[in-house]
Amino acid sequence: MNLPNLSLADFLPLLPTIIMVVGASILLLSEVFLSATASRAYQAVLTVVTAVAAGATALSLMFEPPQEVMLGFGVLDPFSSFLTFVVCVGLALATLSSVSFLRKRGAERGEFYALMLFASAGMSLLAMSNELITLFVNVEVLSIATYALTSYLRRGTRPSEAGFKYFILGAFSSAVLLYGAALLYGATGTTHLTAMAGPLASAIAKQPGLVYAGIILVGAGFAFKVAAVPFHMWTPDVYEGAPTPVTALMSAGVKAAAFAAMVRVFFMVGKGVDPQMLLGLFSVLAFLTMVAGNLLAIPQRNVKRMLAYSSIAHAGYLLVGVAALFVTGPGEQFRLLGASALTGGTPLDIARSEALRGILYYLLAYTFSAVGAFSIISVLERREDEEKGTAWDLERFSGLAQRKPGWAFAMAAFMLSLGGIPPTIGFMSKLLIFQAAVDAGLIGLTIVGVLSSAAGVYYYLRVVVYMFMRPVPEGAQTLERSWSTELALVVSTLGVVVLGIIPGPVMAWLEQASSIFGQ
Amino acid sequence: MSFFDTHLLNLVVFLPLVFAALVAMLPASENGQIRTVTLIAMVVDLVFGVWAYMAYVPGGPEFQLEYRARWFDLFGTSYHVGVDGLAVSLLLLTVFLGPLVVLASTTYIKFRIKEFHLALLVLQTTMLGALVSLDVLLFYIFFEAMLIPMYLLVGVWGAEDRQMAAVKFFLYTLAGSLLMLVAIIAVYFISAPVGARSFDYASIYNGLLSANQQLSACTTEGNCESLTGLAATLHTWGPWLFAAFAIAFAVKVPMWPLHTWLPDAHVQAPVAGSMILAGVTLKMGTFGFWRYAIPFFPVATQQARPFLATLAVIGIVYGALMCLAQRDIKKLIAYSSVSHLGYCMLGILAITAEGATGSAYQMLNHGVSTGALFLLFGFLYERRHSRLMADYGGIAKVMPVFTAAFVIITFSSIAVPGTNGFIGEFLVLLGTFKSDLGEAAGNAHLTAVFGAFATLGVILGAAYMLWMVQKVFFGGLTHRENQHLTDMNLREGLTVLPFIALVLVMGLQPQPFLDRLSPSTDRFLARARVGTPGAALEVDRLRVEVMSLPSPLVAAPSAPVPLAAAPAVPSPRQ
Repeated sequence: MNLPNLSLADFLPLLPTIIMVVGASILLLSEVFLSATASRAYQAVLTVVTAVAAGATALSLMFEPPQEVMLGFGVLDPFSSFLTFVVCVGLALATLSSVSFLRKRGAERGEFYALMLFASAGMSLLAMSNELITLFVNVEVLSIATYALTSYLRRGTRPSEAGFKYFILGAFSSAVLLYGAALLYGATGTTHLTAMAGPLASAIAKQPGLVYAGIILVGAGFAFKVAAVPFHMWTPDVYEGAPTPVTALMSAGVKAAAFAAMVRVFFMVGKGVDPQMLLGLFSVLAFLTMVAGNLLAIPQRNVKRMLAYSSIAHAGYLLVGVAALFVTGPGEQFRLLGASALTGGTPLDIARSEALRGILYYLLAYTFSAVGAFSIISVLERREDEEKGTAWDLERFSGLAQRKPGWAFAMAAFMLSLGGIPPTIGFMSKLLIFQAAVDAGLIGLTIVGVLSSAAGVYYYLRVVVYMFMRPVPEGAQTLERSWSTELALVVSTLGVVVLGIIPGPVMAWLEQASSIFGQ
Repeated sequence: MSFFDTHLLNLVVFLPLVFAALVAMLPASENGQIRTVTLIAMVVDLVFGVWAYMAYVPGGPEFQLEYRARWFDLFGTSYHVGVDGLAVSLLLLTVFLGPLVVLASTTYIKFRIKEFHLALLVLQTTMLGALVSLDVLLFYIFFEAMLIPMYLLVGVWGAEDRQMAAVKFFLYTLAGSLLMLVAIIAVYFISAPVGARSFDYASIYNGLLSANQQLSACTTEGNCESLTGLAATLHTWGPWLFAAFAIAFAVKVPMWPLHTWLPDAHVQAPVAGSMILAGVTLKMGTFGFWRYAIPFFPVATQQARPFLATLAVIGIVYGALMCLAQRDIKKLIAYSSVSHLGYCMLGILAITAEGATGSAYQMLNHGVSTGALFLLFGFLYERRHSRLMADYGGIAKVMPVFTAAFVIITFSSIAVPGTNGFIGEFLVLLGTFKSDLGEAAGNAHLTAVFGAFATLGVILGAAYMLWMVQKVFFGGLTHRENQHLTDMNLREGLTVLPFIALVLVMGLQPQPFLDRLSPSTDRFLARARVGTPGAALEVDRLRVEVMSLPSPLVAAPSAPVPLAAAPAVPSPRQ
């Protein structure tokens, strides 16, 4: 067997990942030499520094032209680089909010941060994967790290239950994904996504069943990972049971990476098969996910669980953007849900860029808003209430505006952003997604989207009602401040509010990032 | 144009926000300072607002005091502000109410003073921003952002059912306007080809204009063979797009049967919330019809006119009848808003010079008179903490000055000649009788029916207001608690005085106000008549002329959407 001859320059595109892995290794190794009582403050700092360095590297790589890397097993394109950036933002914010969370529980250990970094490295690689086996391996890298993180606080029933549930269903969905990939390999004889389009077209003529089964299984596997209805059942329990900073990372990073991989796989597959089929598939998924996610979130009194359902709903809006990728051109749109000739005069490549842009911006917006919201939850919850299940009750938010006006303002901003109310980044990102969808002719889906987001505003506003319009409950515990969580809150609030008003450099990055390899 | 002129509107809009930052830095316990700073902000804003009103030249170009800067290029939107006659008049109304709202709340609001004033200042910025926006997306952003501070005003400082009222208000308005967002996006796409797309008002209006004219020729003369792509699209989708815009604004107006949020929100809101809701936010609905819904879709408007006018007339009569049945004074004033805004809508839909002028004037009147009614009732409520008419009676004996003020405002509200209300309502009724609403509905005699019902509303209006005044203020003092009520103090008197002055000035000297409204009215009529049969069309007058993006920036290499290259946006005008 000949080993490939890789030069040092070939590893450059992997630099963000390498930085994260090196950081994780330092954390793991240094932990060995620490006594149980030693100060571990450096660990969070190191993680944040690593995340910032990786994010900055990813941003600089974004201006490289799209190219295959690592012998075609991966690609470097602005799309993946922007995604790595989003993951790093989520990682840095989640790390900041985990410092006091872990300290309060006496669980501050280097492994925690190392696992976060490994998971993020997996996410970054997943976004770059251009080959089905590599993709599967990266899915596992990120998943296994996340399973471990979910049950990191292993004393207590909830984390173990959540970890176990996540592991079983995650393993199952990985298996489904792998099976689908195997079928696609069987049909086409290649696992490289770029090489797949040609053989797919001929395979579909010969063995349509095989190809469709493969596509549907791969789609189902991804639908599990992004928590699309009807594959969402695990989400509320896992999100609720996991330590809150881990939930934050899951809702932002894991989802972002899974979406990126899904977009890449189906973008390539879409070249070989009839895009109408994919349009239909994703339209149905998007419809179900938006409606069910929002409706299921309405009755929740547990804010953490409510945010879990809301993350399902947000996956639905993102799926609208994914569906918009598969328009085939003016006049022949899929007619499901009332697509029509109202719009669609845009050339295909521009329309696709719009959709990609919408997805990426939405992921960034969701990262800021959701990680911020989970940070607030993490400072309000108390360890002793977790077993009772009241740790995340709406009552916890009563009168927050009088006790901690800054936190209440931040949480209100996150809630309004998640609800898509201007002037927040949440509105701008929804606008971009729906703009792409309308341009693709998916009017019906867009209307369902805006109406379900109006239903969503109801439960987001309820949190605001409790914070601003309810009195402070008797005997409320004093809330401890911690510099790291407050820093995370300040950064995410700035992200949510300022990016909603001032375009800033993000718009230029976004414009750059809307080109995907093979477009 | 000097630097000051180009930035005057920015100053008016964002001054309250800057002062809000200042208030946010004050310690929460310094109530006096917070009130003073807020009041100063509102007064300075009033000064600049009046300046803008004076700087608007009635005979000049349509949009004046324009300012435009690059903004979210990627979305096809720029920061573009400017005022026409109606917008500058409503802007004047908004800045006029600002300081009075602060004065009205000094004793009414007793807790969380800092947050209250922050909400007021932010609300002021969003309302002014919505009025001056010349970019549809910018307008939408302000239009929605307005909900947040208003929601807090109602929900935190309101009466007993405040939370329910606040959430209802928020969701009702939001659900309506989200559909408009979809329509705005759709209009953005159809109004121009790739590369020239923009959310700019001019770009969208001019982009739709020729298609609207073709479509109008099609519906009125049956010449439908040669419809081009866009006209055909408008033929199919125009009614739906118009409906999306119309529902969003009809909720805000509110038109019957979408008015149900209004009585709750008005009744529960604190006096400041009611004043602003009635005074300004409701006008956003009528303003939206005037500026966006009708000019964008004149043909669909023409089709929907009889229906909408019917709803407006139902609103007038229904609102009045509901008033007659109320025992709660605040609810009565709230329902009277439904009735009065019905006149505004009817005047707009009449598409006659009198109707449109009357409607625009009535928007201002309603802001003054209903704002003042809520203010005065707020004073009474602070003393007695009851909204029920039965708890009052004979108040005139203990509060003579207050009674005099209330009666004057009541006269304005029921359109007694000599007050501002008379001019507005008279013009609307005249415009309705002279309109072709009946022909549009299929029978020329129906015009008189619309007019007759609207006139009935005037009579009912006088009945319920005078009946309320009589029960509250005259007769014997039936309750012992009322014997020791004190009359208005100096602050309260000073707060009411500007309203009374404006009622009389606008009633006796309407011309300066009408002068600024009339160019807007002319253009609105011309644009609305694109959809009516046999209208003489002067394209040059119809087109929206605005400034283009600042030229050194247009050629910036990163510009994805070269706005200046848009054929729809004419060359820069100085």
